[in-house]
Amino acid sequence: MKFDTPAGTNPIDQLTVVGKPTDRIDGPLKTTGTAPYAYERHDVVAGQAYGHVLGAAIAKGRITRMDMADAQAAPGVITIVTAETAGPLGKGKWNTAKLLGGPDIQHYHQAVALVVAETFEQARDAASLIKVDYQAEPGAYDLAAAREGATEAKGEPDTGAGDFHSAFAAAPVQLDATYTTPDQSHAMMEPHASIAAWNGDKLTLWTANQMIRWGVKDVAQTLNIPEENIRLISPYIGGGFGGKLFVRSDALLAALGAKAAGRPVKVALHRPLIVNNTTHRPATIQRIRIGATKDGKITAIGHESWSGDLPDGKPETAVQQTRLLYAGANRLTAMRLAVLDLPEGNAMRAPGEAPGLMALEIAMDEMAEKLGMDPIQFRILNDTQVDPEKPGRPFSQRQLIACLQQGAERFGWARRKPTPASVREGRWLVGMGVAAGFRNNLVTKSAARVRLDGQGVVTVETDMTDIGTGTYTIIAQTAAETMGVPLDKVVVRLGDSRFPVSCGSGGQWGANNATAGVYAACMTLRQAVAQKLGFNATEPRFADGQVSSGGHAVPLALAAKDGEMAAEDGIEYADLHKRYQQSTFAGHFVEVGVDAATGEVRLRRMLAVCAAGRILNPKSARSQVIGAMTMGAGAALMEELAVDKRRGFFVNHDLAGYEVPAHADIPHQEVIFLDEVDPISSPMKAKGVGELGICGVGAAVANAIYNATGVRVRDYPITLDKLLDHLPEIA
Amino acid sequence: MQHRRTIRFLLGNELRELTDLDPTLTVLDWLRGAERRLGTKEGCAEGDCGACTVVVGRLVDGVVRYEAINACIRFLATLDGCQLLTVEHLKRPDGTLHPVQQAMVDCHGSQCGFCTPGFVMSLYALYRAEVASPGGVPDEQRIDDALAGNLCRCTGYAPIVAAAQQLRDRTTDHIDEALPTVTRALAALADDAVVETGRDGRRFLAPATVDQLADLVLANPEATIVSGATDVGLWVTKHQKVLPTVIYTGRVAGLARITNRGDALELGAGVTFTAAKAALGGLHPDLDELLRRVGAEQVRNAGTIGGNIANGSPIGDTPPALIALGASLTLRRGTQRRTLPLQDYFLAYGKQDRQSGEFVESVTVPKLGQGDLFAAYKISKRFDQDISALCACFLVTLGDDGLITRARLAYGGMAGTPKRAAAAEAALLGRPWDATAARDAKAALAQDFTPLSDWRASAAYRLAVAGNLLLKFQAESAPGAPATRVLVQRAQAFKAGCDIASRGVCNA
Ligand SMILES: Cc1cc2nc3c(=O)[nH]c(=O)nc-3n(C[C@H](O)[C@H](O)[C@H](O)COP(=O)(O)OP(=O)(O)OC[C@H]3O[C@@H](n4cnc5c(N)ncnc54)[C@H](O)[C@@H]3O)c2cc1C
Ligand code: FES
Ligand code: FES
Repeated sequence: MKFDTPAGTNPIDQLTVVGKPTDRIDGPLKTTGTAPYAYERHDVVAGQAYGHVLGAAIAKGRITRMDMADAQAAPGVITIVTAETAGPLGKGKWNTAKLLGGPDIQHYHQAVALVVAETFEQARDAASLIKVDYQAEPGAYDLAAAREGATEAKGEPDTGAGDFHSAFAAAPVQLDATYTTPDQSHAMMEPHASIAAWNGDKLTLWTANQMIRWGVKDVAQTLNIPEENIRLISPYIGGGFGGKLFVRSDALLAALGAKAAGRPVKVALHRPLIVNNTTHRPATIQRIRIGATKDGKITAIGHESWSGDLPDGKPETAVQQTRLLYAGANRLTAMRLAVLDLPEGNAMRAPGEAPGLMALEIAMDEMAEKLGMDPIQFRILNDTQVDPEKPGRPFSQRQLIACLQQGAERFGWARRKPTPASVREGRWLVGMGVAAGFRNNLVTKSAARVRLDGQGVVTVETDMTDIGTGTYTIIAQTAAETMGVPLDKVVVRLGDSRFPVSCGSGGQWGANNATAGVYAACMTLRQAVAQKLGFNATEPRFADGQVSSGGHAVPLALAAKDGEMAAEDGIEYADLHKRYQQSTFAGHFVEVGVDAATGEVRLRRMLAVCAAGRILNPKSARSQVIGAMTMGAGAALMEELAVDKRRGFFVNHDLAGYEVPAHADIPHQEVIFLDEVDPISSPMKAKGVGELGICGVGAAVANAIYNATGVRVRDYPITLDKLLDHLPEIA
Repeated sequence: MQHRRTIRFLLGNELRELTDLDPTLTVLDWLRGAERRLGTKEGCAEGDCGACTVVVGRLVDGVVRYEAINACIRFLATLDGCQLLTVEHLKRPDGTLHPVQQAMVDCHGSQCGFCTPGFVMSLYALYRAEVASPGGVPDEQRIDDALAGNLCRCTGYAPIVAAAQQLRDRTTDHIDEALPTVTRALAALADDAVVETGRDGRRFLAPATVDQLADLVLANPEATIVSGATDVGLWVTKHQKVLPTVIYTGRVAGLARITNRGDALELGAGVTFTAAKAALGGLHPDLDELLRRVGAEQVRNAGTIGGNIANGSPIGDTPPALIALGASLTLRRGTQRRTLPLQDYFLAYGKQDRQSGEFVESVTVPKLGQGDLFAAYKISKRFDQDISALCACFLVTLGDDGLITRARLAYGGMAGTPKRAAAAEAALLGRPWDATAARDAKAALAQDFTPLSDWRASAAYRLAVAGNLLLKFQAESAPGAPATRVLVQRAQAFKAGCDIASRGVCNA
């Protein structure tokens, strides 16, 4: 189905199933512990051996010698895979560093060997017996130090409009401030894991992967085998947040190990290896300049960001939102990429916007203060309904102002005292902060197959994944709505490369695109069903398990009485996304208390008001937003990978050292969705929502802390020691 | 000594008898490996995430007490005489979900689902222990506590809290129905033998009496004593240490006893944090709060006071409090006992005053008396389930004239051992307890400590806060002082019915 004109009224608009708060259909499996994750698939193939990954102990340099004798002789060892034994390997398009290192080492904990043994303990013990001699080379590990030498990244030119420099210089009110965000870890709860089995030259991988199609391609490219020989299966994923967008060393090494061992091999990355072995969100340094007239109109806005990555890596696109969020005739954005020899930087939940808004939305708060304006008023005054770089391109929907205004009312913003450090409750300094949330809506083609059987059961198959987002459920809702059957008549099968290629899960594009693809396939099936049942002239209605038209009704199941009917189709987008800017918006509100004696910050209340197109399932959408707000609170207050700048690795590479929020860190949270349908985005009229919740929330926390204490921290995370020195002397 | 070479426990209602166990095989590895019970997940193998949470029932004074623990750092052999419940046991025999599971579905408390079985078991433990008791509707604070040891990266917790709240109307379940049988079965498993298992020359020994323990430790001075294994478990799973001999204290009758000695409480070394919280919390509410913030529920249910002292860590949370209170430590070697002031036990970083063949038997904690002011503070990057950046516990005694007659200011995280601030204490003696005195004591701290910088906190922060906490203590002990504590503040926020009142999403 080609989507080239804004959606008119269609079967989804009935909203009998779609749009209703719906329990997740995989809930019972998950609460009973019976949803099978990759590492647990003992059932799929017999004789699985265990692989244990050995990570490099240096960040940069070469392996000069590997002594495997003791490991090889250790009990239970079947085989050991290294770059040398593996033979020539390619590299996947989505990987920056090689998944199996040696003799050259590109980053700390890069995999250098896989020991395969009869048991996990044997593999792990033997791995510790491998002796590796390294010739370490000096590397660059410090972003601030490498900033000078950073260059424009390939394919990421500077953008702008008007004449930023002159306009900024001439602006009566100016802000020029620099902010930093640290390296962060996805810290999803399920460690990366895969089981690989070969049958002749055909490889099956049971793995935890968000993007099945990318995975197949990258495995093919790395192993130099045809894509058709690879099957990836990933129906249940214990969280990804971008960390499982790409195949990682567990998958590749399981495949290589299984080949070498001549039997299936399973590999999980142990928790302390994950941080340095896989990807992370790169640190940024961001300089923001805003110039405005005295009455608060932005005349110049500039955002530059520096980040680092391995050679041939990519920048963290932290300036993305600044191209679109506020008006202003003179603009500049620029990204510079430094070469760092730290582990590979890559996408983590809302790459670009998440760290970008952490900086931009503090800058807006600072600017509002300079202007003596309320920060909400300042944002409203500088709202834009068109792409400020290309004013001919309107936003498909943009309700930022409504988000902010409704939020202000609901949150009691009027009670906020503009003067910082002026509200005290005992020893607590109390403050409120606001920030705008913004995340683009990305459209990308997505296909599905829909089958109807003689019992009237509709089965949907697509290689789409559910990383916890609720995909199973919204796809079932879409199929139920379109085919006119109750939810329990729908079966959804996901995460298998044998199924039609979907958009996959990432970038908050999954929900809208995957359901639109399922809708397209259902519409094609409807046509076939209508024909089969003899509804030739008019478009019949599909509801309550019946197909009907003009008083004539036939059970849907009848169409499949002589055999299953199936249709495969997908959604493909023409150029609406070029003609219209599609984005999602939020107003984030936070209240904090800060202990004047210790600098301890306690979040007291959080509210997000979101405008994100049609909300397909308010229950799962709300949970997504709350979860993202929580991750954003973590980013504001505690999450930071500490870099060892001499040896080039992340020091706190486990869940004891890399702290993510626990229960008590998270206060009362509320999410409000504005009524919105966006016919420009897809036939579903929906947009993504899973990442919007993290976008802006960190800055709202920072701004609330400023309002509480008068201490402006521009370097995340806002830990106790950054605050305490500057707090008012306690009495 | 009679040795029994079979480890016996109930898996659900089913008796398991195992021999030749690896002394440090974890409950989690056994469940997922040998038993292929895959519901219990592994997220970290070091007690941090709670994905591996299981519930263990132990017979205490004839009653089965159920507690959530981390299966990933608990050794299987330590379950001798217990009942082990995993997520697989919750579903009713007819296949319907347990109310705890149903609540998680209803409230959308599960997203990717990887943390979910662990949450379900923590909720089940809460439901079992508290919802059942009269008036036992856990408040939001209690729910947060019960769940703090479970990390979830997807849901943001609110839906899980809502699920906990939905459990108010508890009804009997199939596990309750089996309770009489289980109680009898566990009683039948209890005996006085030393339980022994092992393989490949490595041994696991679990005495049943203190005398047996004393003999075994004396005979095997190189053995690793294991109590809650919340430290030792990590040596195995994280540092891959191979322990040749393990002596487990958890079966020892009497070692977990709390005795009221009138003006003091005597805590056996095997008293868990959970049990200590109830007892010490009665001495002062700050002790309750401090213990509430040691690890999280699963760690508190397993970890012991003895282990917390014996490990000699400079950032253990109970030593500063116990030192400030003037506690004394009793060590035992064979039949001999010696008692020393707790502070003297800590000699230097990594070095304690414990002789070969000796073990920690008990700690005696004087109660607060007339004129005593006390406070305990734990400062950590994350509020729950985090190691202290520093811990400060203060005891100041005022004479009838209002002058300070005694000052015991004990800190963790400020030096290589838990340590008193001698100069700051001296600065207080003989003075009225006012802001000036607190300020002078704060200034004197620079003579007492040169703390380290690490990623938990900088040296400057540690020193500044160590002093600020004295000011805070002084301000709080003034009459009519406002509430300044995090917990109180949270409780007030909840009570005030903030604008954003609904944490729940059940009726979304
Ligand atoms: C996730 C997590 C969070 C934690 N959070 C905290 C925290 O907030 N605050 C804190 O203080 N600690 C914390 N800890 C550390 C740990 O829980 C404590 O140190 C605990 O007190 C150890 O007690 P245990 O009974 O588990 O000791 P074990 O691990 O069994 O033993 C610890 C040490 O003590 C020795 N030992 C034990 N009993 C005796 C005895 N009777 N006589 C002589 N030696 C003995 C052992 O040989 C070993 O050296 C945490 C641990 C984890 C895993
Ligand atoms: S697996 Fe993380 S606490 Fe046990
Ligand atoms: S549901 Fe994914 S970690 Fe909790």
